[in-house]
Amino acid sequence: MPSRSIDLPQGTLDLLILRTLSLEPLHGWAVSERIQQISSDVLRVQQGSLYPALHRLERRGWIKARWGTSENNRKAKFYELTKAGRRELEIEQNAWQKLTVAVGQVLETA
Amino acid sequence: MLHDLLFRLRTLMRRPAAENELNDELRFHIERQTDKYVKSGMSHAEALRRARLEFGGLDQVKNECREARGVSLVESLVQDLHYSARTLLHSPAFTACAVLTLALGIGANTAIFSVVNQVLLNPLPYPNPQELLAARENDSLPNLEDIQRQTKSFASSGGINIEPMDFSGTGEPVRVHGAYVDVGLFTTLGAQPVLGRLISADEDVKGGPRNVVLSYPFWRDFLGSDPHVLGKAIRLSDNSYTVIGVMPRDFTLPKELADVFVSLWVGYPDAAAERDVHFMHTYWRLKPGVPLAQAQAEIARVDRRLAEEFPHTEKERATLLIPLHEWLVGDVRPALLILFGAVGLVLLIACANFAMLLMVRAVARQRELVIRASLGARNRRLIRQRLTESTLLALVGGAAGLIAAKAGTTLLLALRPAELRRLDAIPMDARVFLFVFAISLLTGLLFGLLPAWSASRGDIAEALRENARTTTTGVSRSPLRSFLVTAELALALILLAGAGLLIKGFLRLRSVDPGFNPANVITMYLQLPGSRYPQIPMQTNFRRELLARINAFPGVEAAMITDLPLAGNYVGHRVVVDGQATRAEGTEPVVQTLSVMGEYFGVMQIPIRNGRDFSAMDREGQPRVAIVNEEFVRQLLPGQNAIGTRIDWTRSSDPHEWMTIIGVAGDVKHSGLNQPVDPAVYAPFSQNDEAWRKFMTLVIRSRVPEASLVEDVKKQVWSLDSQIPVSGIQSMDDLLAVSVGQQRFNMLLLGSFAALAVALAGVGIYGMVAYRVTQRTQEIGVYIALGAQHRDVLRLVMKDGVKLGLLGIVLGLAGAVALTRVMVSVLFEVKPTDPATLIGVALLLAVVAMLACYIPARRALSIHPMTALRRE
Repeated sequence: MPSRSIDLPQGTLDLLILRTLSLEPLHGWAVSERIQQISSDVLRVQQGSLYPALHRLERRGWIKARWGTSENNRKAKFYELTKAGRRELEIEQNAWQKLTVAVGQVLETA
Repeated sequence: MLHDLLFRLRTLMRRPAAENELNDELRFHIERQTDKYVKSGMSHAEALRRARLEFGGLDQVKNECREARGVSLVESLVQDLHYSARTLLHSPAFTACAVLTLALGIGANTAIFSVVNQVLLNPLPYPNPQELLAARENDSLPNLEDIQRQTKSFASSGGINIEPMDFSGTGEPVRVHGAYVDVGLFTTLGAQPVLGRLISADEDVKGGPRNVVLSYPFWRDFLGSDPHVLGKAIRLSDNSYTVIGVMPRDFTLPKELADVFVSLWVGYPDAAAERDVHFMHTYWRLKPGVPLAQAQAEIARVDRRLAEEFPHTEKERATLLIPLHEWLVGDVRPALLILFGAVGLVLLIACANFAMLLMVRAVARQRELVIRASLGARNRRLIRQRLTESTLLALVGGAAGLIAAKAGTTLLLALRPAELRRLDAIPMDARVFLFVFAISLLTGLLFGLLPAWSASRGDIAEALRENARTTTTGVSRSPLRSFLVTAELALALILLAGAGLLIKGFLRLRSVDPGFNPANVITMYLQLPGSRYPQIPMQTNFRRELLARINAFPGVEAAMITDLPLAGNYVGHRVVVDGQATRAEGTEPVVQTLSVMGEYFGVMQIPIRNGRDFSAMDREGQPRVAIVNEEFVRQLLPGQNAIGTRIDWTRSSDPHEWMTIIGVAGDVKHSGLNQPVDPAVYAPFSQNDEAWRKFMTLVIRSRVPEASLVEDVKKQVWSLDSQIPVSGIQSMDDLLAVSVGQQRFNMLLLGSFAALAVALAGVGIYGMVAYRVTQRTQEIGVYIALGAQHRDVLRLVMKDGVKLGLLGIVLGLAGAVALTRVMVSVLFEVKPTDPATLIGVALLLAVVAMLACYIPARRALSIHPMTALRRE
C-alpha cells in the first residue's frame, strides 16, 4: 500500500461508486480497482466496506445487478447504473462540487 | 420506498439463493485480488493471505451486506431470540424473578380488563344494540301504546313486568321468574325463538290464549330439552299454559331474569288496561339514524299531552330515555374504571421492578457486552439484542399472566356484587388476548429500552475500566434507578391511599345502624297462588295459621312482612293526613307501604319509639291502625303528636276509611345502608285492602340451626298447601352483606392491588439497597476496618434508599390528593382527601420502606474487613 493513500471521507464512497459505474457496468473488484487507478492510488477503498455500499445502493434502486462473465472468464456479479442512479449521481456531483469549491475558498482566504 | 420494500421482500423470499450469491460475489473478489498479487510475483499462499487480510472480517462484511439489503432484520431477530433464550435459561433465578414480577402485574391487569371488556366494551347481545333505549321510569301499557302511536322516532317499543310464578311440574313446587311481556318486546330486542314461535299480536289481547314461551335454561332443566314440547301444557301458578316456543340459549332480557314469557294481557287482564298502573320496564328501539335527542324531545311532547289529558295519574310524567348500555352498566362503570386505573398503576410498579432487574443484569454482564462490542458488534445491534431479551421476558411474563388472570377471574366471579350478577362468566376473547399481547410487548420494549439506553450511553472504554474493578458506583447510582424507586413508592402510596379511603368508607358503612338487629334472623319468601287465594280473608287465614304453627316451635319467634329491608323492593303509595290541607292531586307525598303480621317489630328488634306495637286485636273487622316510622313524623307531622293522627291512601278517597296511627317505630334503612330513610307506613296484613298482595316474607328469629329450622318451616307450609314454593331463603346477616357487596368488592379489589403494589415497591427498594451493599462491599469493609460503628454503616447503606423512599412518599401524597378525587362516587362519607387516612397510609408505607432498606443493610454489618479486601 502506498503510504500516501488516504482513507475515504464518510459518505463519498457512494458517490465514487456511482461515478465509476456511470461509464460502464462493473463487478465489485473492478470498482475498487478503478477508483484506485483513477485517483492515481491516492484513494484507498476499504474493500470490506465496498460491498455493503453496493448492496445498499442496489436496495435504493440506483444501481442494479446481474450475473455475467468476467474478463478472466468467471461468473461475476456486474452492477450498472439505473436512471434513478444517474439522477442521483448528478445531484451528488453538484453538491460535492459546491462543497469543495466552498471549502477551497475558505481555505485560501481565511 | 416501494422499491425498497419490494427489494427487501424479494431478498427475503429467496434468502438461500441470495446467501449463495453473496458468497459467490465475495469469493470472486478475493480470488481476483489473489490473482492480482500472484501476477505481481507473490506465492499463491502469500497472495491469498494478503487478499484476505485486506478484505477484513469476511463474516462481518457479509453481515453488513445483509443489513444493507435489509434481510437481516428477520434473521438477526431469530439469532437474537436464540441467544436470549439461551442466556435466560442460564440464569434461572433472574428469569424467574422477572417473569413472576410481570406475571403478577399483567395477570391482575388482564383479569380486570376481562371484566371491563365483558361489562363495558362488549356490545349487548341484540342486533343493532346502539338503537336500543330504556326508560328510567316504569310505565303502563296504555301510555306505552299512546307514545308509540304519537311518535315517529321509534321503530318499536316493548314492556315487561317480572313476577314470580310457581311451576309445579314434578316434585317440589319451584319458584320461577315469570316475564309478563307485550308483543313489542321481542320485536324491540330483535329476538327469535329457537323452537316454535313467539306470542303474536292477535294473542296479546284481553282474553287471549294462555300461551307460554320458555327460556332455554327452563326448557333444559325442567323439561329435559324435550324436542316435542310445542303444544304441550305446563302448570304455572295453578294455571295451564300451552308451550308455543323456546328462546335461544344465549337470549336474556337486558336486566331482568326470566324463565317463562307470558302475555301481559294474560297475566294481568285487568291491570294491563289501567293507565295508572306503571308496572312495566319499557325498552325502545330507535329508527335507524334517529338521534336520541330528537326521540327524547318527541317523547317529552307526548308526556305533556298525556299529563294534560290525564291529570289525575299522569301529571308528573317525565319519561327519560337512556341508551340501554348506559342504563345497564352506568352504576358499575365508575368503580370498574377506577379499579382498572388502579391495576394499571400496579403494572407500572411491576414494570419499574422489571427495569431495575434488567439494569442489575446489564451491569453484571457488562464485561460480556464490552467484549462483544470490541469484536465488532454495533451499538444498535447490542441494544436490539437486549430489547429482544426484555421483550422475550415480557411475553413469557404475559403468558404466565394469562394463567394468573384465569385464576383471578374465577376469584372475581366469586366475589362479584349484585350489580354484576348478570356477569355469569368472564370469557377471554380475542380482545383480551390482544390486550395481553399489547401490554406485554409494550412493557418489554419500553422498560427494556430504558436500561438498555442508559447502559449503552456509557463509553465502552470507560465501562471496561470500571469493570476491571468491582466498584461501579457510577452505574449503581444511576439516576434512572433512583427515579424508578421513587416512582414506585409514589404509585404505591396512591394505591394505598385509595384502598385506605375505601376501607374507611366501608367501615363507616358497616357501622351504620340498619335500624334492626340482623343476628339470628332467617327469612323466606312465599307467594300464594292467585287462583286458590283470590280474596284477602283466605290469604289472612293461611298467614295466621302458618305463623301460629311456626311460633309453636320452641325457641322460635316469627312474623311476616311484604318486603324486607335491604332487599331492594317496596310498594309506594300516596298518602293523605286527616286534618291537613288537601294538596293538588298527584302531588301528595309517597310513602313506603309495608304490610306485617305477627310481632314484626319484636322479631326484627325495631324499637317502638312512641305509642304501642300492633296486637292480636288489630285485625279484620277492628278499627284500622298503622305504625309509621320516625322519618314519616319528621316529614309529614313535624312538631305534632303522631299518635292518634289519622291517615289514608289517596286512592281510597270518598269516604276515607282512616287508619289511626298507634305507634312510631324506629327508622329502618330499607333501601340500603348508604341511602336515606324514606317515610314508611306499616299496616296489618289482616286489614289490607289490596288482594294482589299475595306475597310475604317470613322473618324468623331463632337460635335453632338454620338448616333444620328451614326444613321444619317448609314442612309446615306444605302441610297447609303442598303447591306453595318456598324460596329466597337467606339470613338477614347475608342480606346485609349482599347490600354492601359493591362496596366490599371495590374495597377487596383495591385493597389487594394496594397490597401487591406495596409488596412490589418494597421488593424494589430492597433490591436497590441489597445491590448497593454488594457493589460496595470493599468500601464498607474498609469503613469497618477503620472502626466505623454499626450505626455509621447502616447510615451509609440506608441513606439513599430512605431518602428516595421518603421522596416517593411525599410525591405520592401529592399524587393521591390529585387522583383520589375520581373516587368521590364510590366513597361513603369519607372525603377523598381524608387527612387521617393519608397520614396513616404514608406512615405505613414509610415503615415498609424502612424495613425494606434495613433488612439488606443489616447484611452490610456482617461484612468482615478481610473478606471484603480479599475480593479485590
